[in-house]
Amino acid sequence: MTAPETIELARCGSCQARFLPGDGPCPRCGSADCGVYAASALGKVLAATELHYPASGWHSPHRLALVEVADAVRILAILEGTLPAPGAVVEVRSDGAVYRARTEPSR
Amino acid sequence: MSCHISSVGMGRFGKRPEGLIELAAEAANLALEGVGRKTVDLLVVGSMFAQGLHGREALLPRLAGRLGVESASGLRVDSSSGTGGMAFHTAVLALESGRFERALVVAVEKMTDRSTAEITRDLAASLHSSEVAAGATMPGLASIVVQRYLQKFGLTTEVCDLATVHARSMAAANPNAHFQKSVTAAEVAASRPVALPLRLLHCSAISDGATAVVVERGTGPATVLGLGQGFDALRLVDREDLSSFVATRLAARRAYEAARLTRKEIDFVEVHDAFSPFGMIHIEDLGICGPGESPMWFEKGWAARDGRVPVNPSGGVVGRGHPVAASGLAEVAEVALQLRGEAGQHAIAKSPRVGLAHAMSGIASHNFVTILGRSGS
Repeated sequence: MTAPETIELARCGSCQARFLPGDGPCPRCGSADCGVYAASALGKVLAATELHYPASGWHSPHRLALVEVADAVRILAILEGTLPAPGAVVEVRSDGAVYRARTEPSR
Repeated sequence: MSCHISSVGMGRFGKRPEGLIELAAEAANLALEGVGRKTVDLLVVGSMFAQGLHGREALLPRLAGRLGVESASGLRVDSSSGTGGMAFHTAVLALESGRFERALVVAVEKMTDRSTAEITRDLAASLHSSEVAAGATMPGLASIVVQRYLQKFGLTTEVCDLATVHARSMAAANPNAHFQKSVTAAEVAASRPVALPLRLLHCSAISDGATAVVVERGTGPATVLGLGQGFDALRLVDREDLSSFVATRLAARRAYEAARLTRKEIDFVEVHDAFSPFGMIHIEDLGICGPGESPMWFEKGWAARDGRVPVNPSGGVVGRGHPVAASGLAEVAEVALQLRGEAGQHAIAKSPRVGLAHAMSGIASHNFVTILGRSGS
């Protein structure tokens, strides 16, 4: 049995907010005292859409989802697969500068 | 120190053959003629795309020379789609500093000579870099916001259709609006999908256009009673609740405090409905109605010209068209026109004393609220 997939989330050492790691300080209190921790890569789709008019450099169909993972942290992910209904479970992975979500988790 | 809008200049919004400078000059000259071409000592100009799409790095001196106002000082501002609101606030703050007497504020955009894909890409520059990296667009993120709003209050997309019907009905009476025809809810629901639940007729159009106002020291029917700004997290995933915009709530609270007024004293509003359902969120955030109540305003006609608090008598961004930088100033200009009794066919039913203009940058990351009215309101 393989280990469950995880993603990195951030925790503020000052106000304890949990958030998606980014290039800045804690989005709630502004503290730079932040660390990362591993959390399950499975999340729940809050909203998803297909962009019928993608920006130049992108091709249809381009689908995006707002996904909620552990500790109510939210991720904007590029969807791979069909458009899921709100509440569907997806698996999220980090891919360079972006996150991708699969509508049919491998487990 | 009080200041007021003494003149408004607007050309028609829509697909125009003129270039950026010509559009700006048309609106500016109309505003200057409204004050008998009195001397202005400050020129504030806003444009989001002048540099990127048009290479107009020297917009200020070009326009100053074209208008013959080279003796004025100049300031240029940019806050993406909120640029027009920021330009007006900048002029008021400069006048209130006591250094200037009379300012000409101009906001302009030339967009229809570019492809939709180019415009979509450049509009996304107002989003967070991680969102741009994921190929997010303004309609894409707006779709997510609207879905969260509808989910929270158990609403269906039909309420979004009604918001568009309202916007286009208002615009049909405004000769400067991009769209001159009303639409039915069925036509909205049958329009092409953009990023569902948002369809083409829920989204603002790519438009050319400019707005100008003269603002000067003193008082009048359109005196500045209060200004407010608010920021919110640029990255949508850092916001706790997407069914409401913190930047609007902050800006409104500050403007109401500055004006020493409450929401109940606001006679009408012009809000930045870049997507028609955003208009519903905005009037809730301004306190015109409670959370989740705004659909009723469009269903029952309370937002109409003869309604309880008319919303977007100009047609708003969806009906008037969206030359992005110009929209925020067009909202202020519409409030001034209504208060000055110069709104013509799109005048609201009751003679108003106080009006509110709301401008939004990006997906509500930096918003502006302006309250105008008769001095002493």
